[in-house]
Amino acid sequence: MNTKQILAILIGLALWAAYFYAMDRYIMNAQGLPVGYDLMPL
Amino acid sequence: MRHQRSLAFVALAAGAMLLPEIVRAAGDMAEAAANLPPAPQPSRADYPQIGGLSARTVAWGLAQMHLFLAAFVLAVPLFAIATEFMGQVTGDRRFDDMAHEFMKITMAAYSLTALVGGSLALALFLFYPQLMGYLLQVFRGQVLIYAALFLLESVTLYIYYYSWDALRYGNRKWVHMSIGLGLNTVGLTLMFVANAWATFMMSPAGVDFTTGAVTGSVWEATRNPLWNPLNLHRFLANIAYGGAIVGGYAAYMFLAEKDPVKKAHYDWMGYTSNFIAILGFLPLPFAGYWLMAEIYAYSQQMGITAMGGILAWLFIIQAVLIGTIMLAANYYLWSGLMRTERGAAYGKYVKYIMVVILGGFLVWVTPHSLILTPQEIQYLGGTQHKLLGPLGIMPAKNTAVNLMLVFTFLSFQMFYRSSRKPTNKFADIGNGLIIALYVIGIINIVGAGIYGYITPTVYKVGASVPQVISTLTIIVGAVIIDLFRLRGAEPEKVHWGRMTERSQYALFVLPVAFTWLMGLMGYIRSSLRTNWHVYTIMKDNSPEAYIPTIGQAGNTITVITLVFMAIMVFVFWLSRLGTTRQKDPSVRETIG
Repeated sequence: MNTKQILAILIGLALWAAYFYAMDRYIMNAQGLPVGYDLMPL
Repeated sequence: MRHQRSLAFVALAAGAMLLPEIVRAAGDMAEAAANLPPAPQPSRADYPQIGGLSARTVAWGLAQMHLFLAAFVLAVPLFAIATEFMGQVTGDRRFDDMAHEFMKITMAAYSLTALVGGSLALALFLFYPQLMGYLLQVFRGQVLIYAALFLLESVTLYIYYYSWDALRYGNRKWVHMSIGLGLNTVGLTLMFVANAWATFMMSPAGVDFTTGAVTGSVWEATRNPLWNPLNLHRFLANIAYGGAIVGGYAAYMFLAEKDPVKKAHYDWMGYTSNFIAILGFLPLPFAGYWLMAEIYAYSQQMGITAMGGILAWLFIIQAVLIGTIMLAANYYLWSGLMRTERGAAYGKYVKYIMVVILGGFLVWVTPHSLILTPQEIQYLGGTQHKLLGPLGIMPAKNTAVNLMLVFTFLSFQMFYRSSRKPTNKFADIGNGLIIALYVIGIINIVGAGIYGYITPTVYKVGASVPQVISTLTIIVGAVIIDLFRLRGAEPEKVHWGRMTERSQYALFVLPVAFTWLMGLMGYIRSSLRTNWHVYTIMKDNSPEAYIPTIGQAGNTITVITLVFMAIMVFVFWLSRLGTTRQKDPSVRETIG
């Protein structure tokens, strides 16, 4: 595994984490289930 | 703002003026419904008894057999036309030949579908005349449309198959594919119409709920609450089922053929069929989830009967069968890695995928409530096992099935990659992004599962949606990134035919497990009506208006499955017989 690939993994981890977090929040709220920043029910 | 207020005021005023009209209309409708003939309420004496025949078993067997055959003959043209189109776009004639062969198998099964369908209709009219009379009242002219569609289906099917060689090249090919498109449109419409009849019996619409009198139009009865969820579920399931059956045919031919060229062809056909089966299968749990959610929304009682009541244990058998399908499909994919030189490099990952799939399978089959003796309850300290009990609820099962799907997709991706050597600069970066996608996506699926244990029930149910989206994101994201990664990749030679004979038995497992599964789930869906012909409208007063024991249901479904598999082997044998030529004894071979 080269440096470029390790860097891509790290950037990918951050980007995908942001995507999945936003998706989780959006879908829970869209279902009428309000959640806080920690995704716990408000 | 002022404009909006005035609009709201006008709407309110109009509503207030119309209110008495609406109330009067509702009253008129109730009065009209009271004057209409109600749904028949047959007594036990109204059900004809023919010798010692069990009316329910006869109707059950024929309905299930018709559904198996119909699912197969409707699904194969769907992917036959997709394969034909692929052949046209890529210019690879092998696709075209394979699509033609797909249709050949369908032809042999088509007349059997019609025969069993006709027998089913006769059996239903014979044993349940009141019910059939009522359904005819509800669906009226639609029944004739169904008959016309069936005729059209036969015509387009025969033209599509027999014109294959006559309309093979150039513009004629497009004419041929248009006929195929027509065939599929008619086929799907047929299925949607039949689905309306089945779902009307579960969630009636367009009728008066007190008397059962037909108050609405045919369209109202057709678009009843469960119609579309069942349409989607059956559409996907049929594709998966058709793929599995054709895969079984390819395995049969692979084992029977001695010629390496033909063996290679059938190996490729088996791989493609397995691909189609899994493609239809991957989104199926989500369609099933939607159907179940709609059942709950329509009637909580019906939902509880399915998932928490007398039928709940059958879902454990369902889990065993789906686990079997997953294991067989993955085993076949792993065996396929030996077709390429680079495939062996991926072999080391197989054991990890195996652990996840087997682990998911075990979680899925873990029941929530056990059937226990008093001593066992005493020993356990309750009806649930301390460690395994929590695995019996939905958050654990949703997590397990999503992980199984993700890792099944990974098996596919490994095979796809094994035949392509990336050459472009994005390959390493793309690979890093895909690894990160899998890691975060899996964490999200597991996290959403744990979330279900620490939040109230509505959140638990709600969290299953992000799980599904996570799985779909991983699959779609990985496919898109891989397409960019492998742009301009060097193709590796795939040695079609370089497969073990053992791997072909995995292709046999798929249709058997699918058939069994469809029989089981079809039984559950139908049994949800409990002692009603038409749920809450028309009671079933026949001597067999009870839910059979799990053993009795299991035995009946197994016998139906065995009969259907025997029919399929006959169909495969017929297809092979059609290509077998006897040598002319009058022509002597000259040697030397």
